[in-house]
Amino acid sequence: MAFNYENYLRLEKMPTLWCWGCGDGVILKAFVRAIDSLGINKDDICVVSGIGCSGRFSSYVDFNTVHTTHGRTIAFATGIKLANPTKKVICVAGDGDALAIGGNHTIHGCRRNIDITFILINNFIYGLTNSQTSPTTPQGMWTVSQQAGNIDPTFNTCNLAIAAGASFVGRETVNDPKKLEKIMVKALEHKGFSLLEVLSNCHINLGRKNKMNSAIENLSWIDSITVSKKKYETLTQEEQVNLLPTGILKQDEEAAEYCDMYAEVVKVHQGKRKTITQDDFKKKI
Amino acid sequence: MSKFKTQNPGNQPVWVNTNNCKACDICVSVCPSGVLGMHYDASSTLGAIISVEHPEACIGCMECELSCPDFAIYVADKKDYKFAKLTDDSKKRQAEVIANNYMSLSEKRS
Repeated sequence: MAFNYENYLRLEKMPTLWCWGCGDGVILKAFVRAIDSLGINKDDICVVSGIGCSGRFSSYVDFNTVHTTHGRTIAFATGIKLANPTKKVICVAGDGDALAIGGNHTIHGCRRNIDITFILINNFIYGLTNSQTSPTTPQGMWTVSQQAGNIDPTFNTCNLAIAAGASFVGRETVNDPKKLEKIMVKALEHKGFSLLEVLSNCHINLGRKNKMNSAIENLSWIDSITVSKKKYETLTQEEQVNLLPTGILKQDEEAAEYCDMYAEVVKVHQGKRKTITQDDFKKKI
Repeated sequence: MSKFKTQNPGNQPVWVNTNNCKACDICVSVCPSGVLGMHYDASSTLGAIISVEHPEACIGCMECELSCPDFAIYVADKKDYKFAKLTDDSKKRQAEVIANNYMSLSEKRS
């Protein structure tokens, strides 16, 4: 008996609509295994997804799910979490969804440090709409909207999230599903905003015109642009250019969580306490 | 009824559900010991389908199951099956399978 995925998936929606070899399937599998290893009740989880290939994620998992409008995953999830502070809320969005259309929701979600696990699937392109430049498309790559080669500088998602104040930031690739599962468990366990960037392949819409015709070629390209955090720190600044560190990049247990602070606000209005002062925050400014 | 066929079909280290396979070759590429290989199949969308060629060489590393995006391949639990050790023969066979464009060695070179 192998691991029984059927308990966690909507079988009537299977097989997935994703292309052959799509990393989204690997992430779905790692996610299901991570949830199983944490032993969380299915009814205590809400998965919120946006638009794009990653938006299909919520259709396949058999939890409470919301398939929301483009880029608004964090906005919907914030509402769900504030109304149900005891439940686990997980957002799944792609790179275009989370960083372009929903860019402002992402940074303000990070800033508030609300207890949401945000799985950001980065495949370096707008895959669903056929290869337009996304905020993470590497410079020089062919896209439909920049056919001479992309000239836009790219976002470093994890640095953005760290700067915006997320209390857990991690990066992993679909090349190593075992590590992916482990870091997903850590991100789910963390109390506070946890952003997990998963580098995924899109050999159909990114690879096809950029000399990565198969899933395997695209995955080996992802392998070539990532190094573990430990190794990254030993490299010189010149060597670090164009490389992305993987692993847990930030973990801060001290930062005050938004739902906890909101509960204090409720107490103020119920007359149980006076006002909220700076002393209420674990971390002083 | 199990749609994914997660039940072991009978003392196998690794088994496949060909209904779910989309022939992306990832499982073949990650196997360290040349257990897997693709076969030509006219009814499949990409013209090929996965098959288990050398189950006796499986070392139970789980890479194929975890790397499959489509829930098409399963590895037995370590408690239920005694897996083989990684040998030079199986490493060599894996290199040959990759050189053969992930096709099974019984298929003609394309």
